[in-house]
Amino acid sequence: MTSVFRYHGLRVEIAGRAVVQSLDLAIAPGECVALVGESGSGKSQSWMAPFGLSPGIASGEAWLCGEALVGRDEADRSRLRARHVGFVFQQPLTSLSPHLTIAAHLEEAFTQAGGARPDRATLAAALSEVGIDQPQDRLRQFPHRLSGGQRQRVMIAMAIAHQPALLIADEPTTALDATLRREVMAMLTNLCRKRGMAMLLISHDLASVADAADRLIIMRQGEMVEQGPTRDVIAHPGSAYGRDLLAAAPRLDGPAPHRPAIGALLLEARDIAVSFPHPGWRRGRLQAVDQATLTVHEGEALAIVGGSGSGKSTLARAIARLGPCDAGEVSWRGLPLPPRDRIRPAERAGFQPVFQDPVASLDPRWRVADIIAEPARHLGSGVSQQHILAAMAECDLEPMLADRRPHELSGGQAQRVAIARALITDPAMLILDEATSALDVLVAGRVLDLLARLQRERQLALLMITHDLAVARRLCHRILVMDHGRIIEQGDTESLIRSPQTDITRQLVAASH
Amino acid sequence: MNRLRLALPAGLVGLVLLAAWLLPSLLPWDYRVIDWDHVSAPAATPGHVLGTDSVGRDLLSRTLVGTRITMMVAIAAAFVSLIIGVLWGAIAGWCGGKVDALMMRIVDALYALPFMFVVILLMVVFGRSILLVFIGIGAVEWLTMARVVRGQMLALRHRPFILAAEAAGAKAGFIVFRHALPNMAAVILAYLLLTVPQVVMVESFLSFLGLGVQEPMTSLGILVKEGADDMDVYPIALLVPGGVLVTLVVCLTVLGERLRDRWAA
Amino acid sequence: MIGLVLRRLLASIPTLLAVILLSFVLMRFAPGSPFDGERPLDPETRAALDAAYGLDQPIPVQLGRYLLHLAHGDFGPSLVYRDFTVTDLIHSGLPVSLTIGGLALISALGGGIMFGLMAVLRPDGPLDRGLMLSMTLLTALPTFVTGPVLALVFALWLGWLPVAGWAAGAPRYLVLPVLALALPSMGAVAKLTRAGLAQVMEQDHIRAARARGKTGWRLISHHALRPALLPVVSYAGPAAAGLLTGAVVIETVFALPGLGRYVVQGALNRDYPLVLGVVTLYAALIILFNLLADILYGWLDPRVRG
Repeated sequence: MTSVFRYHGLRVEIAGRAVVQSLDLAIAPGECVALVGESGSGKSQSWMAPFGLSPGIASGEAWLCGEALVGRDEADRSRLRARHVGFVFQQPLTSLSPHLTIAAHLEEAFTQAGGARPDRATLAAALSEVGIDQPQDRLRQFPHRLSGGQRQRVMIAMAIAHQPALLIADEPTTALDATLRREVMAMLTNLCRKRGMAMLLISHDLASVADAADRLIIMRQGEMVEQGPTRDVIAHPGSAYGRDLLAAAPRLDGPAPHRPAIGALLLEARDIAVSFPHPGWRRGRLQAVDQATLTVHEGEALAIVGGSGSGKSTLARAIARLGPCDAGEVSWRGLPLPPRDRIRPAERAGFQPVFQDPVASLDPRWRVADIIAEPARHLGSGVSQQHILAAMAECDLEPMLADRRPHELSGGQAQRVAIARALITDPAMLILDEATSALDVLVAGRVLDLLARLQRERQLALLMITHDLAVARRLCHRILVMDHGRIIEQGDTESLIRSPQTDITRQLVAASH
Repeated sequence: MNRLRLALPAGLVGLVLLAAWLLPSLLPWDYRVIDWDHVSAPAATPGHVLGTDSVGRDLLSRTLVGTRITMMVAIAAAFVSLIIGVLWGAIAGWCGGKVDALMMRIVDALYALPFMFVVILLMVVFGRSILLVFIGIGAVEWLTMARVVRGQMLALRHRPFILAAEAAGAKAGFIVFRHALPNMAAVILAYLLLTVPQVVMVESFLSFLGLGVQEPMTSLGILVKEGADDMDVYPIALLVPGGVLVTLVVCLTVLGERLRDRWAA
Repeated sequence: MIGLVLRRLLASIPTLLAVILLSFVLMRFAPGSPFDGERPLDPETRAALDAAYGLDQPIPVQLGRYLLHLAHGDFGPSLVYRDFTVTDLIHSGLPVSLTIGGLALISALGGGIMFGLMAVLRPDGPLDRGLMLSMTLLTALPTFVTGPVLALVFALWLGWLPVAGWAAGAPRYLVLPVLALALPSMGAVAKLTRAGLAQVMEQDHIRAARARGKTGWRLISHHALRPALLPVVSYAGPAAAGLLTGAVVIETVFALPGLGRYVVQGALNRDYPLVLGVVTLYAALIILFNLLADILYGWLDPRVRG
């Protein structure tokens, strides 16, 4: 059978450095191949460079519908892109031109391969096909009026409008809410099956493409380490890296992890409410958190799980006195906690946060040792060099990193520095705000291991904010599910995952499988 | 190549400043003294390398002293604008909300003033003293700095490391001065450099109109004005101070922009 | 959209009042008087003059009166140009200043956007570098240097154009002043256009459009130009104001009968109503230009329309 898209010995160089080496690939019509790897594995460069969409220089062989891609000029490549390929990108929020209506975007997509100008009904039908309601109204709107999920659906409608032979989707669901990912991925696969389109799917997350892809290719540092039919690769990974990758991702099935014993009541938050002014010119306020009540005991890990905009981070920041809090009370070890502007050092020292973006949460101009020492400097009576090195050692950071600055650290190292900083005042509780979701699977797995060890060794309580039930299950005793600012469901981790009571929880469970 | 892109304008500015500060005392004629024997002398007259003006004063000497005064006014005014602008912008950006809205409304309102007229008004009201020239200019030129610092502060404010510093128990003053401002120091310095040529222009503009530096003191603006009056018979008196002025402004602007582009990235 | 414009117009009233109040008070507390001439006036004449122009009243009363007259479009009498009211002077000078400023704004925007586009078509090529360096030079040219130098070269040496004068707005007389006034802003617009386009070309929606096969000029005109011009529009409001006030120098250099000349004369002679009137008028014009720029901004970027 002839393939729609084929590489033989593809190599991509950026500034003289090889980022992809000897990659072979063939996709038949109607087939879906997934390219999986961590950031820096070269998975995106391997398709962007041959199409001339990145500064990378491709060599070797790349064939699209019988035409060579390598060595062609920009005019040829843009003609080939327009005619035969549809692209879906990771960034639905920014991939549409802000000053053009949805209709203008779709029209451009329909005519890009030389097709006739479509009428309104055709455009509306194209929107309906990708699951957008009220398509007639949407056509008139500008992209900023649409939600992230809707924009990604528009991108998909544009990608298939000119009946391409090949669809390339680079992390098409990563930027979407957990509850939407499955649905969008299923829609993509269905569209491909229905139209006999070939699909190249690029992802960092093995689990998210496992259902969609017929075949898997695992890449690492620019090289293919494993490939084969999806089922075989997942059941019997042939390479050590493939095994690590499969084992690192937290799962909802499998035996429940051991969780340490729980002590006395540590933190109690009652009827917390937070509201923000509506963005833009609209009047009124948006209730981000409404009447949220929760408790955390010594040594207990509690997860707050929800989609984006559910209010989970806002709630955690209100409790930690790091964000606005309109109403409600928080007590710490039985005593009321003063509001944000009056909180005392001794109270601050008891609970410390770790944020999502590890590099951004460290002052770029400070040395690692100073960063780690900062809480002790303000909240305690200072700290010795030995103490800093001990905290670093506890978080598996080498002493030589003490003089580095944040931009010289890897993502995993930066997050360990943030954890070491949080531990320097010897707190009773850590507040983890999506602390592992910006990290690669393997790195995130090791940071979760570190947190589990700290939890065990230090009797540390954890308040964990995450969109991922599987991550929550790895550490937490109990789970709260939030939606639209309210706590809609809570319970012991295993039973909540086994028998979810609300639709939102059921979607979250489904998204994590 | 990249180093040259900074070194060339910086070197030129340095050369002009060095000449302006060191050379005048070495020249035979003081910038105020009238040489009755050589009135409106052409260039290369003995004792007057660039000749004299219509009342017989040495043009080179006057240009160098004028440069010195223009630059002194400019640097002083730039520092006035730096202090007001950074404090104003930092407070507005840090406090946010209503304080920010009010403070930025004031900045917007001041922007809406025909600002040349404000300086003219100040000169008229408070008399024409060199001190007032730069206080007045500094008081007008801080607006851009305030906007830049406030924008940077708003962007930094929501960066996790600022929140982390709050969680680490740092007080507002510590966060602003030890975390936020050092992280925008490069941008502030670049805009400070860009303020200097702006102020040079404003000072020269005012002096040109007769509202800035007063005789017998001189500045590049006054020299350009005098040169423009006699340009039909004696163009060098326009071209030399004009050339020095343009060189200074161009080099400082290029330097500021290149540093801004490098550091903002 | 109309609501927004009305709101902005209403919001500008306090700003305008504040400008008037500030200028009024400043001028009144300044030492000296418009009637200080070569020799001191005798007290009786002085008192009579003060009474005639209402200067003997308390300042709040003077201010109130001034505002009342202003509301009827009356800027009061000029103290220096005794035979004219300020309204007369504005009437004769404003068209000249607006013509020069308006033409300069149009040339600055047109020329600047054109040069910016030319530069960005081959990024970092010799044309780009050469153009951007010359544009930086342009932004740094003070009008009071370029004005005389242009006059020196094109009028005195080459004799192509007149040295100075207005001649009822004959085009030959407009070229040099408009050019001298427009050059710095043209440089700034070109640099903003270039920088804006370079920034937009890095964005995700451009990559997405390229992926759909759009290249070259079609890509720029359809997907990049409108977002890239946003900084130019933000600059255009203040720039229009700058060109108006910058015309003060150009009018002096080229002996044009515009408003700027009256301002300087008025300021030097403490002609309160004249300076106040022109400052108020210019403040109103600046507010108007900024509003126009905001409306244009809304057209270019639907996101700010809410």
